[in-house]
This record gives sequence, C-alpha cells and structure tokens, in this order.
Amino acid sequence: MSFTRWVSIYGPTYATALVWTAITALAAACGAIVWGCVLLLIRLSAGRWGARVVDGYVQLFRNTPVLLPIYLIYFAFPLIGLPWPAVVCGTLALILQNGAYVSEILRGSVNAIDRVQFDAARSIGLAPWSTFRKIVLPQVLVYSIPALGNQIVLLLKDTSLLSAISITELTMQAKLLTEQTGAAYEAFIVVAVLYLLLVSGTEVAFRVTHRAVRWL
Amino acid sequence: MNMWSVRQVLPAVVVALLLAASLPAAAQEKSRMDVVLERGKLIVVTLTTVPPFAFTDEKGQLVGFDIDIARLIATALFKDPNKVEFVSVTAEGRWPAIESGRADMGVGGTTTYPDRAIRVAFTRPFIDSGISVLVSKKSGIKSIKDLDQDKYTVANLNNPQMADRAKRFFPKTKVLTFDTPAAQFLAVKSGRANALQIDTPSAEYWAAHNTDEMEVLPGLLGASQNNGIFLRTGDFKWWLWLDTAVAEMRTGSWYPQYSEIYHKWFGKNPPPQKFYIQQ
Repeated sequence: MSFTRWVSIYGPTYATALVWTAITALAAACGAIVWGCVLLLIRLSAGRWGARVVDGYVQLFRNTPVLLPIYLIYFAFPLIGLPWPAVVCGTLALILQNGAYVSEILRGSVNAIDRVQFDAARSIGLAPWSTFRKIVLPQVLVYSIPALGNQIVLLLKDTSLLSAISITELTMQAKLLTEQTGAAYEAFIVVAVLYLLLVSGTEVAFRVTHRAVRWL
Repeated sequence: MNMWSVRQVLPAVVVALLLAASLPAAAQEKSRMDVVLERGKLIVVTLTTVPPFAFTDEKGQLVGFDIDIARLIATALFKDPNKVEFVSVTAEGRWPAIESGRADMGVGGTTTYPDRAIRVAFTRPFIDSGISVLVSKKSGIKSIKDLDQDKYTVANLNNPQMADRAKRFFPKTKVLTFDTPAAQFLAVKSGRANALQIDTPSAEYWAAHNTDEMEVLPGLLGASQNNGIFLRTGDFKWWLWLDTAVAEMRTGSWYPQYSEIYHKWFGKNPPPQKFYIQQ
C-alpha cells in the first residue's frame, strides 16, 4: 500500500485526535501562564520565605520529567479519592510543570524593569498589588512574549506524553493505527507533519502578537 | 531569526513524504536466514511488560515464555540458547523494528491480525493464549455479562483486537485505552478501571500476585488468540524456516522442549497436538 493511499484511508481518523491535542495544549498554555504569574506574585510579595517556597517548587518541577506528575496525578489521585478525568489530570500536570518554567521566564523580565519605576510607583502612592498589576505585569508579559512562545511550543510537544494516560491525542492515534495496520512509518510521519503545522502556527501567533505590542 | 516561510518548509515535508513512500519498496538482496547464520547470533525484538510472556524478573533479567521460545529458536540455529540478543520496545515499536531490519524476528505476546499481516509476516501460532478479563474484587463483577454495564470501566491495550472485543462482549462498558499492559494493570489497581482484558496467562499471573485485590472472571473472550513469531514480509526462506520451527515445536520433534517451556510458565501441559492423544 502506497503512502498516499494509506493517508487517504487512515488520514481522516486523526481529526478528533488533533482536536484533543489542540484543546489540551491551549488549556495547559493558558493555565501555565496564569499559574506562572501567581508564582511570580508570591515570589515578589511574600518575603524571603515566599521566594524560598517558590524556588523549591521550581526546582522540584524543573528537575523531574513531566511524565512523572502525569502518571502520579492520574494513577495516584484516585487512591486519595480524587478520580478526576484523564484530560484534567494531564492538563494539570502540564500546568504545574510549565507554570514553574513560566514563572522563571517572567522573573527574568522583572529584572529587566528599571528599578526607578518601583520608586516612582511608590511616590505616587500606588499600593504593592496595584504596582504589580498596573506596572510590573503588563511590561513583564510583553517582554516575555518570545520566551513564552518557546515554552508554549515545548508544552505543545509535551502533550504527546498524555498518550500514556489513555487520552487519544495525536501520538496515541498514531500508536493505535500502528498497532492496527503495522504501518509505523506512515502513522508517525503524518503525526510529525501535524505537529509541525501546530507548532508553526503557534510560533506565528506569538510572533504576530509580539510585533503588535512591541512598541508598548 | 526570520520566520520559516512555506517555501523553506515545503521541501522538507516533500522529502519526508518521499522517504516514507520509498521505505516499503526497499529491495531485499539476501535472506535474513543467511544473515543470521553468518552473524552467529539471533536478534529478537520483544516487549518487556507482558508477564508471563516477556517481562523482567526481580533480578532485572528479561524472562518469560516468549523469551524461552526465542532461546529455543537460537538453540536450533546455533546449539546455544544464549546466542540471542533482545531488543526491547513498546508495543507500536515492534513493526518498525522488523521493517527497518533492526531485528531478525519478533516475539512478545504478539497476536496475528489480518491488518497487520499486510505489513509483517507471521508464522503459524506457537500458542493460543486465550483472552481473559481480570477484575478488581471491590467491583463485585462476577461474570463477563455483569461487566456489560455503563457504570463500569474496562482498561484496553491500544490494539484493534481489544477494541473489537470490547464492542462485541461489553458494548455498554466505558473504555480506557493504554499503551502498555503495565499501565492497564495500574489502571485497575488504582481504581481508574474496574476490569482489564489481556491474554489469559497474563491475567492469571497478575491475579496470582494480587490475590487480595483481583480475580480472573470465568470464561474467555472469543475463540482463540493466536500469538506468532513475526518477521519481515517477503523473505520466503527465513519465513519457511521459522514456520517449520514453530510446527516442530507444536507438533513435531521439539514438542518435548516446547512442553517443558509451556509447563514452566503456565504450570500445565500444552493442549494435545494429536486428537487421538488423551491428555
């Protein structure tokens, strides 16, 4: 069976899987950015101990493979009475790990803000929370767009690991088709092309956003 | 860095597609049989998480029924059961390992299936393993019929036979699909699923190691579950020899060795191979 014929027969079965990859990646990306901002806020506002706790958290997740939290949340949470659906467990694991990376990216951008701005904010009477929300966060997010784009691309590719916990995303679909037809090369080349398109689309989205807000 | 334009990306995609199209057509100059004999060692692709067919024991050694079958084949070729090298892969890694020529043949709880046989060749089955259902005792499921309710969840492996059987025997049950038997087992153990379907010896192995929590339901799913040796398709000499070897194990001169291996892993004799022999 030629490659084109294989694709014409089995290609359409990737559609649902593509949607699952896109949904989990999108949800995890939004969640990771929000969680990263929260971690940044804790680091900046909760004093030395807050910073230590965030440091410990970042170390923990940065130094372990993301497959571990995926397995742990999916297989161990039912034992403590939390049998969340696989999609929730998988997305949560991706958020927990990528949030750690995002908070580090944002921290780098905070350091790029001129310290004078903090003095200025205090001198016009802005409370710490308002300073964070109105001065720090907007600038930090804009500075961080390219680096965040890279992180989201990594996250998108990590969704392939969700195949381990029974989510039929792109990689699982390729595994299923390989098991059915034995056509491993075909199944995984199709998946490679689909990932390439998804990642390229994500990169373009981040570049366009960055270009649009760079003047701020 | 500039954005990749379509003009830059397209050639890469085209090359990838052409490569894919040309792979199955790769010419085969020499039979694997001769390659193996010249090399003096057999390379076998196998799974590592399907007890008692192929798994790692407490010492980290790869053992199991299928592993011993591969060693029996090595013995026939080289008079030495250790002249064999195992390549461990996950389930979907079996097929490219064979097609790329990385391994000479494969074993590992691998079921003959018509869709698959288009891409890889199978010998006649060296075991009809049967498929059983393993349930958690907590679930209160006592029969295959009980399982067919939408309040239950069954853990499948990502192969098409599992999906076929789930539709046929318990169409109402919710299904989770995993990529290793180990994950299937973990799903039942953690309460993610109430039951799993797997080759009968594996189900019995797990039940025996978890007597407090799990049991095997009476009855089998389907008539037979034929596990064969798989190899690259189109290599007549190599296929014929392996198929003859399997025939000799099951019904011929190697029946004693085959029976010994069968007894070692399943605790009983293989089914009689001649209708006039009473077991």
